[in-house]
Amino acid sequence: MKRIPLHQIWYFVFVLSGAVFVFIARSTFNEYILSIINFVGIYIILAVSLNITNGFTGLFSLGHPGFMAIGGYMTSVLTFPVAKKAMFLELPGWLSHLALPFLPALLIGGVCASLTAFVIGVPVLRLRGHYLAVATLGFLIIVQVLITNWESVTRGPLGMNGLPALTHLWWVYAWVVITLYVSWKIKFSSYGRSMLAIREDPLAAQCVGTRLFRTRVVSLALGAFFAGIAGGLWAHLVTAITPASFSLVLAFHIVVMVVVGGSGSISGAFVAAVLFSTITELFRPLEESLDAYGIGEILMALILILILIYRPTGIFGTREPGFLTAKST
Amino acid sequence: MKAKWQIVMLSAVLAVILSAPVMGADTIKLGGLYNLTGGMSSIDAPALNGAKLQAKLINEAGGVLGKNLEVIGIDTKTDQKAAATGAKKALAMGVVAGLGYGDTTFVMAAAPLFQKKGVPFVTSGATHPMLPKWVGDYMFMVPFGDDDQSFAIAEYTVNKLGAKKVAVWTDNSMDFTKALSKFYKQRITELGGTIVLEDFFMMGDKDFSAQIARLKNADPAPEAVFVSAIPNEAGLTVKQIREAGLTLPIVSGDGFDTELVTTVPGDKLANDVYFSTHTYREDNRPEVLAFVKAYEKEYNRPPENAFAALGFDAVGLIADAIKRANSTDGKALRDALAATKGFKAVTGEISYTRPSGVPMKGVSIISVKNGKYKVEEVWYPKN
Repeated sequence: MKRIPLHQIWYFVFVLSGAVFVFIARSTFNEYILSIINFVGIYIILAVSLNITNGFTGLFSLGHPGFMAIGGYMTSVLTFPVAKKAMFLELPGWLSHLALPFLPALLIGGVCASLTAFVIGVPVLRLRGHYLAVATLGFLIIVQVLITNWESVTRGPLGMNGLPALTHLWWVYAWVVITLYVSWKIKFSSYGRSMLAIREDPLAAQCVGTRLFRTRVVSLALGAFFAGIAGGLWAHLVTAITPASFSLVLAFHIVVMVVVGGSGSISGAFVAAVLFSTITELFRPLEESLDAYGIGEILMALILILILIYRPTGIFGTREPGFLTAKST
Repeated sequence: MKAKWQIVMLSAVLAVILSAPVMGADTIKLGGLYNLTGGMSSIDAPALNGAKLQAKLINEAGGVLGKNLEVIGIDTKTDQKAAATGAKKALAMGVVAGLGYGDTTFVMAAAPLFQKKGVPFVTSGATHPMLPKWVGDYMFMVPFGDDDQSFAIAEYTVNKLGAKKVAVWTDNSMDFTKALSKFYKQRITELGGTIVLEDFFMMGDKDFSAQIARLKNADPAPEAVFVSAIPNEAGLTVKQIREAGLTLPIVSGDGFDTELVTTVPGDKLANDVYFSTHTYREDNRPEVLAFVKAYEKEYNRPPENAFAALGFDAVGLIADAIKRANSTDGKALRDALAATKGFKAVTGEISYTRPSGVPMKGVSIISVKNGKYKVEEVWYPKN
C-alpha cells in the first residue's frame, strides 16, 4: 500500500478547514465582517495570481488592475439584468438581450482579460525591467481612459451601479482554492522551474532550452486570467464598478503584497494579502473613537518599511514552508 | 527579530482591545459615511463635522424621543470598495439611517445597500438629479439637483445679463461638470439663446490659453462664457480669461462656490463673475448665522464650505423626521422623510414634493464684483 505523503495530508487539512471556516462564517458573522472576509479572499486571488507573473517569471507588471477592470466590466455587462440594460446602457442588440448566470460570465471575463494579455504581451514583453513596468503602467492608463470614455457600454466615470449581489463566500473560497492549486502546480512543475530560471538569469535559461518569450507571455496571460476573475467577483461584491477603482494605487497595493510576501512564494503572497487587507479594518474602531482617520494607513506603511528593512526578501523569500513541500525536493 | 514580533503582537493586542465597542447604552445611531482621507476629503470632512455638530446641538437641547443622537463617522477613503464595506458596517451596527458623501459615485456604492435593508439614506452633497430614481424610495437628497442649479444660472444669463450668445467650457473628466453643462445648454436653447462655442479641458489643467484664443476669435462673439469646473480650475480660469483682456461675464455653478475665485485672480481681476449655488454664502437668514456661530465655537474656524452646512442639514432633516414619525423604524422614518415639507435648513427650505425625489430648494445667484461676493437673487424651481 502506498502511503500518502505528509505534505498532501496538509493540503487536505487546509482545504477542509477553509471550507469549515466558510460554513461557520456564513452562519455567524454579520454582513460587514463577511464582506471584509470576501475582500481578503479577492486580494488573495490578486496577490497569488500576480505572483505568477511578477514573482515566478520576474515580469514587473503594474497592469494587474487593468486586467481586473476588463474582467470586471465584462462580467458585469454579461450578468446585468436585461430590464436594467435598456434603462442604463446602449448596447448592440444581441448583448442587450443577454443575461448570463454568474459562472459563465466570470469565465468569459477571465478569458477576455487573458486574451488581452496575449495581445499586449507580444509587443510589451520584449521590454525588460523598468521599461516593462512603464509599459504595463501605460496599459493600465489605456484601459482606464477607454472605460471612462466608452459611455454607451460602461457609463463612463459614473460607472455601472446596481449589479446583482452574486458574490458570496463560497464563490470567493472556490476561486481562492483554484488559484492556489493552479499556482502551486505550476511552481512545482518543470514549467514553473523554467519560469523561475527565467527570473534568475534569462540568458542561462535560454541556453538550457527554455523558450523565453513564450513562457513570459503565458505567465502574463495566466496572471491576467485570475485578475479578470477577481475583477468579476469584486464588481458583484461591491455591486458597483467605476473606472477609478482600478487605479495605480490598487496596482501598488497588490505589488506590495507580492514583494512583502516574498517574490515567488505562494504562501508569502497569501499571508501578505491577508495581513494588508485586514490591518486597515482592524484600526477602524480606533480611528472612529479618536476621530483620527488614517492611522491604519500610516501603520500599514510602517509595517511595510519594517519588513523591507529586516527582511528585504519578503516574509518567505521564494520558498514555501517546509511542511508543505514534498521531501524529495 | 524578537523586537519586531513584539511590535506585531503589541499592535495586534491593541487592535483587539480597541475593537471592543465603547457605545453609550441608549442612543439613536446614524451612520455618517464620508471620504475623510483621500481626494474627496476637502469636501467630505467638513460635511461630517457639520453633521456631528448638529447631533451635539440636538443632544444639548434634549435629544430625540428622549434619546441622544449619535453620528458614527466612517471613513471610506475615497474608495468605492470601502464605501460598500462602510455601508455594511453601518448597517451591522444597527443605524436607523445613513447619511453622507458629496459625490454621486460613492452614494451609488453605499445607498443601494441601505435601500435593500429598508433603511433610509440621506446624501448631504451629491447633486445628480437621477439619484433617487437610480437607488429607490429610501434615497433622499439634501441639496438641489444639478438640473436646478444649471437652469437657475441659465435663466440669469439670458434674462438678467442679457446674454443670448454664450460659450460653454466643460471639464470633460467629471460626471458632475458634464451634467452641469448639459442642463445649461438645454435651458439656454429653450430660452432662445445659442451656444456659439463649445470647448473642453481636463481636471488638473493649468494653461487655458488655447481655449481663450478660441474664445477671442469666436464668431459671432459670445456675450458670456459658462465654465463648468470644480474649485481647482475655478480660480485659474477666471484669472487667465481676465488677464487675456476679455471682459465678458463668466458664469458657473456651485463648483465656483470657493474663495479661490477671488484669491487666485486677485480682487481686481475677480470681476463680473456669476454663479449659482446653495443658499448659504453671504446669506443672513437666522439659521445661517446660528450655524456659522456654532461651527466657529466648536471647531475654532469658520465653516470651510457649503458642504459643512449640508452635512449639518442632513442630520437635522433626519432628526426632524424621527420626531414626526415618533419612531426609528425604517419604514416609518422613510415615510416621514418623504413627507418633509418646508423644513428650515441652513441651505434653504427643503420639501419633497416632486415625483423625482429631488428637493424643491432655492438656488442662490451670487455675483463677484471686484473681489466682493453678493447674493443677487434666489431662484426657485417651478415644479
